[in-house]
Amino acid sequence: MKTVIETKNLVRKFGEAQTQVTALSNVSTHIEEGEFTAIIGPSGSGKTTLLQLIGGLDEPDSGDVFLSGTNIANMSGRQLSDFRRDHIGFIFQSYNLIPVLSAQENIEYIMLLQGIDEKDRKTRVQEMLALVGLEGLGDRRPAQLSGGQQQRVAVARAMASKPDIILADEPTANLDSTTGIALLDMMRDLNAQMNMTFVFSTHDQKIMDRADRLIHLEDGIVHLDEIRNS
Amino acid sequence: MLFVFSMSLLEGSWSNVVDIFTLDHTGHIQVHKDDYAKRPKIHKTIENPAVVETTLKNHEDVTGWAPRVYSSALAYGGNKTSIARIFGIDPELEPTVTRILQKVSAGQYFSAQPNADGYFPAMIGRGLANSLRLDVGDEIVLISSGADGSIANDIFIITAIIGNTTSFDRLGVFLPLTVAQEFLSIGGEVHEFALLARNKHDNEQLAVELQSLMPSLNVSPWQQIEATFYRTMQSDKQGNYFTMALIVFIVFIGVLNTVLMSVLERTKEFGVLKSIGCRPSELVKLIFIETVMLASISISVGLALILPVIVWFTEVGIKLDISVDMGGVVFDTMKGDLSAYVVFMPMGFMLLTAALISLPPGLRAARILPRVALGSH
Repeated sequence: MKTVIETKNLVRKFGEAQTQVTALSNVSTHIEEGEFTAIIGPSGSGKTTLLQLIGGLDEPDSGDVFLSGTNIANMSGRQLSDFRRDHIGFIFQSYNLIPVLSAQENIEYIMLLQGIDEKDRKTRVQEMLALVGLEGLGDRRPAQLSGGQQQRVAVARAMASKPDIILADEPTANLDSTTGIALLDMMRDLNAQMNMTFVFSTHDQKIMDRADRLIHLEDGIVHLDEIRNS
Repeated sequence: MLFVFSMSLLEGSWSNVVDIFTLDHTGHIQVHKDDYAKRPKIHKTIENPAVVETTLKNHEDVTGWAPRVYSSALAYGGNKTSIARIFGIDPELEPTVTRILQKVSAGQYFSAQPNADGYFPAMIGRGLANSLRLDVGDEIVLISSGADGSIANDIFIITAIIGNTTSFDRLGVFLPLTVAQEFLSIGGEVHEFALLARNKHDNEQLAVELQSLMPSLNVSPWQQIEATFYRTMQSDKQGNYFTMALIVFIVFIGVLNTVLMSVLERTKEFGVLKSIGCRPSELVKLIFIETVMLASISISVGLALILPVIVWFTEVGIKLDISVDMGGVVFDTMKGDLSAYVVFMPMGFMLLTAALISLPPGLRAARILPRVALGSH
């Protein structure tokens, strides 16, 4: 299988001098194409930091991140933006939808950035809404949707650009357990259908049970890398 | 809105001052022979006024014109004497250029016809009337020298008193043009043509055009004829512009602060946009377009609200509690000005300001790390 994500000796520290905290300490790992991987660990273990570094949302103090063989440290701001746009989809814990845009506009926006023509955009928006089970709710603004529905829009937005990798930071943390499990099952189905690589963080046992692989983080160190059902 | 209103008020005030000045005597443009405007001599006359008249009459941007002759004289009234300045004016054409009809403070505006006893009429300034203790119906004797060196003297009957004791023509004696020409022995020649332009703001351009049509004469806009007044007015304008620039700068800082705050509040949104692949340059463009659009909308709304006020101010104006007497012409209404400059200059300036203001917040949003932006609330 092809390695799509590789980290080498990633170090990330926050704060200065005595208040300095090491969020990640020499994290090296690799994730293969089509994997459904969970990064797990208690709060403050470095899960979010690792996902942000993989997605180029943050810069490491040392170490490298390779996405499909390309070191993202060597990319300019513009190249990194373009790379994120075309290859990475993000799902955030607090959904992070743009409140003034409707559900379908939130999904459409990334395709607008990709320069896809209007007709194709509209078609794909409807496909994505159907995929996440939100047909007929496209005109609603985020505030008019439940938490679970908003996170489904976020999943649809992440997938609309047809990325290679989807990074999800505690996607079920703000949802009740039934909705959270339903969302994970949906992500699992999409992973199976479209062979997209999913990497998500969680500390919910029911959620992590659905992952193929668990990367245990503790105090910024990979404590255990566990391959499960595949 | 306030900027446009202030501009209208300022331009209206200046326009009023220019009107007071130019419509009192100068006109918008004057035509002379050689350097008569700077060094007036009785013999520096326009020898063929008919050609000038034809040129002015046929020019569509000239709305009024009046020929004039000038000389100094000694005036007698009873047993008193005074120096006086003779203004030879065409009784019909002069009111097309100046507000002389409004300046008649006693008696009646004259005609070129003599009275039953054969005496020609004269109108005299209030200062001269007071000095010689003359009134309407009295005789005034003028002594001067003719262009041919002869002694000019004659008796005239006062038909009107002009202006007040502060008027520039307070010591003036207005004679009908033909009478003054005969009195000064200059035949049909004149010293000056004063004229009004259709658009007073374009008078300098019109002067250049008329100069090319009358190359042997000297055509000057009022800004050259009354250079000292014009320079004073320009410095006053600069001062006002400086004050306005200061106010705009303070507004600029206020708006910059508002835009910055708005961008700060939306930092998380920009973080989301960056994380889904929005380029830094696209964020700058987004904030620029949003700010300019907001500015355009607010300018349009402001303009729609203020335009009727400006139109009213320009057409009707505000009656002043204390009227101002400018050389016998009473101004008792403060008016605004409505022109493309008044409307579009502040609009353009504010749009440019908004565009500039959007850049620092835009660059800030473009530079911020997505992790930092996403972590802000």
